[in-house]
Amino acid sequence: MLCCVTVDGTAGLALVNRLSVGILLDLAGREATGMDEDYIAFRGNLQQLLEKVEKGEMIPKLQASHAPPCKFWTAFMVVNGIRHMAPVIHGPVGCTYGVASAYKLTSCEYRGVPLEPTSCTALGETNIVYGGEGKLVEAVKEAEARYHPELIVILSCCCSGIIGDDVETIAEEAEKSVNAKVIAIHSEGFGGDFRSGFEDAFRVIMDLMEPPRQKRQKTINILGARVGPTYTEWREDLDEIIRLVNAIGVDINAVLCGGCTLEEIRRAREVELNASWCYDWGQKLGDLMQKRYGIAYSRTGQPYGLRATEEWIMGVARPLGLEKKAREVIQKETDGVKEEAESLRRNLNDKTALIEVAEFPGPIRALSIARMVEEFGARPVVINIHPYTIKERMPSIKFLLETGQNPEVVLTKGIFSLGTFRSSWQTEFQLEELVTEYNNAIFFGTPMRQPGIPQVNLTTRTGYPHYGYPGIVNLARLVESAVVNAGRPRSKLFRRVLYGDRQS
Amino acid sequence: MSTTGKFVTATAEKCHDPYLRCALYGAAQAALGISGCCVLSYAPQGCNMLVSSAFGWQDADYTETLTLCTKLCENEIVHGGEELLTRTILEAQEFNVPIVFVLSSCGPEIVGDDIVAVCEDVRSQVNFDVVPIQCAGFRGSQYDGSDIALDVLLKKLIVDRGQKIAKSVCLIAPYANANPTWMGDLEWVKGVLSRMGVEVTATITHQTALSDFARVSASEASLVLSHDCGHKAAGYLASEFGVEQLCQDIPLPVGFTNTRRWLRELGERFGVGEVADKLANEGEKMVVEVCRRKGLEQFFMHRAPVAIVADATVGIPLVHFISEDLEMVPQLICLRSSQEVARRVLEKELKELNLAPRVIYGADVYQSKVALADLKPEIVFGSNIEKHAVEELDIPFVFLLVSPTTRFRIINREYFGYTGMLNIIEFIQNDWRDKYRSRQREYKARW
Repeated sequence: MLCCVTVDGTAGLALVNRLSVGILLDLAGREATGMDEDYIAFRGNLQQLLEKVEKGEMIPKLQASHAPPCKFWTAFMVVNGIRHMAPVIHGPVGCTYGVASAYKLTSCEYRGVPLEPTSCTALGETNIVYGGEGKLVEAVKEAEARYHPELIVILSCCCSGIIGDDVETIAEEAEKSVNAKVIAIHSEGFGGDFRSGFEDAFRVIMDLMEPPRQKRQKTINILGARVGPTYTEWREDLDEIIRLVNAIGVDINAVLCGGCTLEEIRRAREVELNASWCYDWGQKLGDLMQKRYGIAYSRTGQPYGLRATEEWIMGVARPLGLEKKAREVIQKETDGVKEEAESLRRNLNDKTALIEVAEFPGPIRALSIARMVEEFGARPVVINIHPYTIKERMPSIKFLLETGQNPEVVLTKGIFSLGTFRSSWQTEFQLEELVTEYNNAIFFGTPMRQPGIPQVNLTTRTGYPHYGYPGIVNLARLVESAVVNAGRPRSKLFRRVLYGDRQS
Repeated sequence: MSTTGKFVTATAEKCHDPYLRCALYGAAQAALGISGCCVLSYAPQGCNMLVSSAFGWQDADYTETLTLCTKLCENEIVHGGEELLTRTILEAQEFNVPIVFVLSSCGPEIVGDDIVAVCEDVRSQVNFDVVPIQCAGFRGSQYDGSDIALDVLLKKLIVDRGQKIAKSVCLIAPYANANPTWMGDLEWVKGVLSRMGVEVTATITHQTALSDFARVSASEASLVLSHDCGHKAAGYLASEFGVEQLCQDIPLPVGFTNTRRWLRELGERFGVGEVADKLANEGEKMVVEVCRRKGLEQFFMHRAPVAIVADATVGIPLVHFISEDLEMVPQLICLRSSQEVARRVLEKELKELNLAPRVIYGADVYQSKVALADLKPEIVFGSNIEKHAVEELDIPFVFLLVSPTTRFRIINREYFGYTGMLNIIEFIQNDWRDKYRSRQREYKARW
C-alpha cells in the first residue's frame, strides 16, 4: 500500500496492511514451481517470476482483503504536488475528504505546506439522476472566485464517470470564463489500478507544457514525484539527488510533481534532459516526453550503493557533456564514504541478504537494495515480491532485468492468504522458517518482522536518505547496528501487538 | 458578512471543501462497531480507504474484525458485478465470522446492481448471516450513512422481547463524535449509569456483541450520544418498542451546567435524583480543587472572543462550558452538520445564554476560513484544519479538540463529565503555553 495513513488515523489496519499485500495465485502456478516445502509458493529468480506472470501461470491479482488506492487517489497524489492548484473533484464528499485527509493535511502537518483547498461538487442523488455538468461549470467558476488558483484540475470520480458527464469539454468551456488554466483527468476509481492514476495524471499534465522559447543549457527536470509538495516518500532522498545534480553543475527546472509551479510545468520542455528520482514512477512521463518532444531521458535505477549512484550521476552528466566534473564529484564523494563502504563490505561479505520490502518503502527498492548488497559481497534473496507488483511495475522490472539485475526470489504461501492479519502472521512465521535454511543470513526490511537473525531497519526515519553517499553512511550504520544488536531479544510487546498470541 | 447573530446554512455553494466523509464511511463506522464481524465493501478499491478510516475511528481490532472489498473495475460497472459480489461473499466463509455486512458504494448503486437480492440468494450457501446496507456515497454525508446503517442494524438484528428490563438504557451512536478518543466519553456515560444502578443493555455500536441486539427492545430508554446522528434510530426504538429517548433536547454533558442538567434528567427518570446530585456535587468539587491546585490561568480566557469549528456533538456542548465556566464569548460557531434536532438545541442554548454569535450549519472549510478572517476571534476551538487555515490570519490560539488530530492518545480521554472538563482545560492550558514557547535562542551556551 502506498502512503495512505490519514491524519485522523487508519490506525490498526494501516499497521497490518504494511506487512501484508497478498495476492491470488492459481494452483497451476504453485505446482509449476515444483514446490517441495509446504510453505513455499515460488522459488526461482526474478526473470522466472516475470515469465510466470506474463504466461498467466500466476494470477497477478490482490485478494479481496487487500486494496491499494484507486486511480482517483493516485491521480490526486500527482496533481496535489502542484502549488496553487485547486482541484474540483466531480463527485461526492467522501472521495474528496478522503484524499484531503490523507495527503493535503499530511503535507500541512509534516511538510510545511500551506493549507490549500480540496474542493468538490459534492454530488448528491439529484445530480446522479439529472446530471452534474451544470453544477461542475459553476463549481469551476466558484473555485476561481474563492481560491484564485493558477490551475484548476477537474478530477472525475465513479459517479460522474458512470453518468457520463463530459469533464474534458467542460474544462475547455469553463476555462473561457476564468483566469486559471483548467484541465480534466478521467480518474474514475473503477477505471484502473493505482498505477493508471499516476500515469494518466502525468499524461494530462504534459498538455500544460508549452513549446520551448529557449533551450536551457545544463538544466533538467526530475520526474515521478507525487503525493504532494515535497512529499515524495522521504524528502531526504530527493534532497540527495538535488545535491548531486547541483554538484556537477546542473540546474533543476522542476520536480514533477513535487511542489512544482504551473510556470515550471509550462517551461518543462526547455530542459536538455529528464531524470527520475525513481525510475519506476518517472519512466512513463520520461518516455512520453522523449517521444513527443524529443527530450532525452536518463534511464537509470535508484541510486543505492556506490555503483548505482555513479550510474545515476553519469546518466545525467554524460548527455550534458559533464563527465569530467561528474568524475571529480564521484571520486570526492566516494573518498568521503570510504570507511562506511568498508564497513558494509565487512558486514555483508559472504552473507545471504534476505530482503523483504512488500510495501513500504516500496518493492522496487527491494530490487535496488538487492543490487547494493551484491556490490558489497552478499547474496541477495528477495522475499515476497508478489505477482501483483510484477504486473503493475512490468516496465521497471523489465528494465532492471535488462541491466543485469536478476536476484533470487522466494514467495511464501502466506502472501496469498485472504485477510490482512492472517496474511501478516502467516508470512511472519514462514519467514522465521525460511531463515533457518541459511547459515549466515541478514534480514533487510521492517522491524515489524522478527526473523531472529541480524535485522536491518529500512524504515527508520533517521535512516534516510538511502540514496547516494549519505545513503551509504546511513545504510552502513543500520547494517552495523543490525550485526551488533543481533543477539538482543525482540520485544514481546511488539510481537503480541502485531501477531496476537500465536506462537507459530 | 459581519452581522452577528446571523444563521447561515451552507447549501447554496457549488464548490465545496468538505469536513465530512460520505455515507459509505458513516455506514462502515456503524457496522464495524460490531465485534468479530466482517465488512465487505461492494466498491472500487479506493472506497476501501474510507472503510479503513472507519475501522480506525471505531478502534476495531484487526485480529478480530475483518474487511473485504470487491475492488470493482470497469468490467463490473459495464456488465454488472453481482457475480463478483457472490464470489466474494462465498470467499468470506474462510473467516468463520457470524455476520457479513455488505456495503454498497456509488458505482454499483448507479448501475442498478441489486445487493439485497444477491445477499438473499447467497445466504443459503454460507454459514453466516449476510446483511446488505445500501449506503452509496452520494446518499449523503457520513452522518446520513450512519443513520442508514443504524436503521438496517436495528430492523435486522433486534428481537422483540416484549418485557422490559427495569432501569435500563441502550446507548446510540457514540462514535459520531469528533473527540478523537470518544471511547472515553462512552466509558464515562457507562460509569455514571452504573453509579445510578442503570443497566446498559447495548451500545449501538462499539465493541458490540451480536447477542447484545437481543436486549435492545427490552430497554426502558435510549440515550443518543451524538448531536449529529442517531436520533432516527432512537425514534424508531421509541415508536416500535416504546423505548423512551432521554436527554434529547439538551446538550451533551460538557461543563458544569450541561453535566448537572444531563445527570439530573437521568436521575429523575430512574428515581435516583440524589445519586445524580451527589455525582454532580462531587464532580464539581473535584474540578474546582484540581484547578486550584494546578494554578488555572484565567486571564487569557476572560471575555476572549472565540470561534468554535466542530461537529455538533462537541461544538454545541462547548458553548455553555466556555461561555459560562471559562468566561469566553463565542463569536462564531461553524458546525459540520445541520440536523434539525441539533439546531433546536443550539438555538435554545444561545437564547438561554443571551449570546448572538454568527452560526454556520453544514459549514465547509472555505466558509469557516472566510468567517474566521472576517471576525478574527482570539481563540479557535477546532482541528488541525483550522490550525493551518488561520496561519495568515493573525489568530493567536487554535485549541485542537476535534478530529482530524493524531489519534494515538494511549488512554482515551473523555470530554464529557468532570474529568472531561479537566481534559479540555488541560488542552487549553498547554496549547496556550506552547504558543509562547521560545522558538529560537538569543545566544549560545558555553558548555
